Amino acid sequence: MVVGDVTTGTEVLVIGGGPGGYVAAIRAAQLDLEVTLVEKDAYGGTCLNHGCIPSKALISATDVGHRAGEAEHMGVHADPAMDLQGMVGWKDRIVRRLTAGVEKLCENAGVTLIEGRAEFAGESSVRVVHGGEGEGAESVEFEHAVIATGSRPIEIPGFEYDNEYVLSSRDALALESVPDSMVVVGAGYIGMELATVFAKLGCDVTVLEQLADALPTYEDDVSEVVRERAADLGVEFHFGETAQGYEESGQVITVTSEGEDGGVTEFGAEKCLVAVGRAPVTDTLTVEAAGLETDDRGFLVTDDRAETNLRGVFAVGDVAGEPMLAHKAFREGEVAAEVIAGEPAALDYQSIPAAVFTDPEIGTVGMTATDAEAAGFDPVVGQMPLRASGRAMTVDDTDGFVRVVADGDAGFLLGGQVVGPEASELVAELALAIEMGATLEDVASTVHVHPTLSEVVHEAVKGAAGHSIHY
Amino acid sequence: MFEFELPDVGEGVAEGEIVAWHVAPGDGVEEDQVLAEVETDKAVVDLPSPVAGTVRELLAEEGEVVPVGNVVVTIDAAGDEPDPEEVDVDAGVDGADEEPTESAGESDDESATAGGRVFAPPNVRRLARELGVDLAAVDGSGPGGRVTEGDVRAAADQGAGEERTAEPKTESVEAGDGEQASAEAATTAAEAGGDGQGASTARASDRDRTLTAPATRKLAREEGVDIDEVPTEKTRDGEAFVEPEDVRAYVEARETVATGATAETPATAGDAEPATADTATTEAVTTEPYRGIRRTIGQQMEESAFTAPHACHHDTAVVDDLVAARADLKERAAERDVRLTYVPFVMKAIVAGLKEYPVLNTELDEEGEEILYKHYYNIGLAVATDAGLMVPVVEDVDGKGLLDLAAEANDIAQRARSRDLELAEMKGGTFTITNFGAIGGEYATPIINYPETAILGLGAIEERPVAEDGEVFAAQTLPLSLSIDHRVIDGAEAAGFVNTVIEYLENPTLLLLE
Repeated sequence: MVVGDVTTGTEVLVIGGGPGGYVAAIRAAQLDLEVTLVEKDAYGGTCLNHGCIPSKALISATDVGHRAGEAEHMGVHADPAMDLQGMVGWKDRIVRRLTAGVEKLCENAGVTLIEGRAEFAGESSVRVVHGGEGEGAESVEFEHAVIATGSRPIEIPGFEYDNEYVLSSRDALALESVPDSMVVVGAGYIGMELATVFAKLGCDVTVLEQLADALPTYEDDVSEVVRERAADLGVEFHFGETAQGYEESGQVITVTSEGEDGGVTEFGAEKCLVAVGRAPVTDTLTVEAAGLETDDRGFLVTDDRAETNLRGVFAVGDVAGEPMLAHKAFREGEVAAEVIAGEPAALDYQSIPAAVFTDPEIGTVGMTATDAEAAGFDPVVGQMPLRASGRAMTVDDTDGFVRVVADGDAGFLLGGQVVGPEASELVAELALAIEMGATLEDVASTVHVHPTLSEVVHEAVKGAAGHSIHY
Repeated sequence: MFEFELPDVGEGVAEGEIVAWHVAPGDGVEEDQVLAEVETDKAVVDLPSPVAGTVRELLAEEGEVVPVGNVVVTIDAAGDEPDPEEVDVDAGVDGADEEPTESAGESDDESATAGGRVFAPPNVRRLARELGVDLAAVDGSGPGGRVTEGDVRAAADQGAGEERTAEPKTESVEAGDGEQASAEAATTAAEAGGDGQGASTARASDRDRTLTAPATRKLAREEGVDIDEVPTEKTRDGEAFVEPEDVRAYVEARETVATGATAETPATAGDAEPATADTATTEAVTTEPYRGIRRTIGQQMEESAFTAPHACHHDTAVVDDLVAARADLKERAAERDVRLTYVPFVMKAIVAGLKEYPVLNTELDEEGEEILYKHYYNIGLAVATDAGLMVPVVEDVDGKGLLDLAAEANDIAQRARSRDLELAEMKGGTFTITNFGAIGGEYATPIINYPETAILGLGAIEERPVAEDGEVFAAQTLPLSLSIDHRVIDGAEAAGFVNTVIEYLENPTLLLLE
């Protein structure tokens, strides 16, 4: 212990106040545990401050502007002016309300909040270094710890983030003016969401992707819908391209990229957004002091109770591995807190749904038909295109489809892929069905509201059950 | 207030008769103090209090048969309200406690199902973890085989039953059919007891239509039950669905209600004589309930007789030397306060025979299509008691001396008669002796203590005529009656076994070699 340190003790120490951490802290406090939460930056973590919420705000704002300007065929004539500063201001107000809300929830639950960076001093204590000079440090001894330190954007060689030419997703969400042109490295979900935002803002967007398609982790027919819509917005795609580096010349940069055939191409742009994935944050923790095990990508290794190799030390959220989704972190945080409180909780979900907020959206849950076959099922598939939906026509958004995958024998829902408007919402019904062990017949026999997009899900299920009416 | 539900005091018992209350309303009780004696199918057990406090109300009369899970007594607990979960765990009789096992590795076990997937809603999965049930091993009764809450609860009861029964056996021995029967009983108990509202199970439903399997309809007919009356919450395709355990639960619940009713009848009817066995009566036929230990014996006999084709082998041992040896040793034994009977000698001779003919120390696993050879010698002794036949077991007979065996056999026989046996003491036998000769007689046709495969009956040791070298003379003889499960054991093996036993009984010095 450093002289001058103050040592305090707590039953549960939570490191990191993002979705995994704050949920673990609140849940543990609800279960009558004494909880201390250490946050080094901002409550709400990446999700609230630099990720989900800010990006969704800008996606919605740009979508409103874009659609208003493209609605002559609906009898709406407008030429909206989009003011990024105004949008960012609106987004910041939302973020402030939400992060303040998280802090309030923690306080109301009786969680002790400490600001600072926690690093392990041993198996059952951390040193919390307060931000700023001369703020000092303190030691916290804990009985249980929940590590929720999250992740940060991966940096690639030749593209150090400087927030001037090379932007991370976090930087891009805080831009004050719309660049004329932008190279986006990486066509994963972050790259695609932001490419769409900036294209709608009038920026010339070029996407470079190492692999052969946009959203390469999704099925071809799913990503195709999104890629084509983005191309319609003016986004230029170059696949099989590996970005090598950039040079600045005046106010612009030239990004060089190597194709699969070895040919080098140069792309000029004002900014370069790098969105090639995220890596766990464990370097601030001195995990080796506690003896925590990490996998080859640096994620903390956890079991189905979110517990690490150290008894009593849990890890939740991005730092505990893929998929790096806030809702996975929520669940893990709850489970970790309940396990600490002695409840029989476990991470036993059948599936974690995922959404991409591109235009149109993608929502997926559970298995694809290929997954199902690989898992030994004899799957049946039902698919319904949005162009057959009255509601899709009346929201003027008919690209995409709903596909459901079920076990051919007993009819259990196994998975669903939705691409289209509100896909992120539509997937919830399928997630519930899968989690409940519902059969096609269960969902087919459930009455759905007309006219809604949820009817498309209904119809896809009926199709898989062999009695679609409308298609 | 703590509501004490009648726990499953034995392995998968469905109901228990309150033999005697040891407390009265207003009495203070300590934790573990005996509240009542309860007679189940298997034995009479003490019911200890899971909490300390004051007895508020006794909810069952002495003599009343109560389904497992019904509240029998309410106790105002001392101090804080007890945590219901903890109380549940403590509620069992000693040795019957079952801590739910941790199931952290559960997902690994689920590979049994296609795609490594078990279809069960989240609340059911959580319940399974709570009760330590492996979901992959549960047969779902929901649509398409989805596992329901009821399935998990039934599996938990069944699992607890199997674990307890399997305990005295060696690891290589798998649970046989006998356990499944009791597991079914447990399921019935759960259904009947359910939420402590067994009586409501007796309330008849009145449906126009009921879906059920033909076998269940048949069962209902056999039990004299209208299938449309059987209460059920299960449905198939929107129609009420009844399964065999629903029928059984309904029948049992009806019986319970009927018993409760008859107990009150004499008071109201006034002129009617209570039709009990010990009351002098002029009626030509009187009835006595076929229940409890009587019915358990009956069911076991039925199962054994109709499952294992019995073949009997009779022979006689000339035991003059054994009689002499026992007479010699009897006084030595008496000096050590042990009453030496012939039984330990016979037990030792049987072990010698079993070692030479291991096929008589077996069990047939019909489902697994395997014969289980047991390399330990736990010999059950059939004991006639006032309440019926009991078979306490002496374990590891080969490793114990004659005096130890004598002491142990006397002790368990005595306690069987005084009904002080623990359930565990009647389990884990590999071979059984029935000593009907203690009452008299020569030969008999013993029924095998299924799932064992052989039983040896002992006639009375008496002087009988024996022919030898052309002359007839009187000698002490012991008639032996061996019944075998002819599926597993051939006649020649049976005869060989009896020959070995006779050899040892006729030459008791050979027992020194054992």
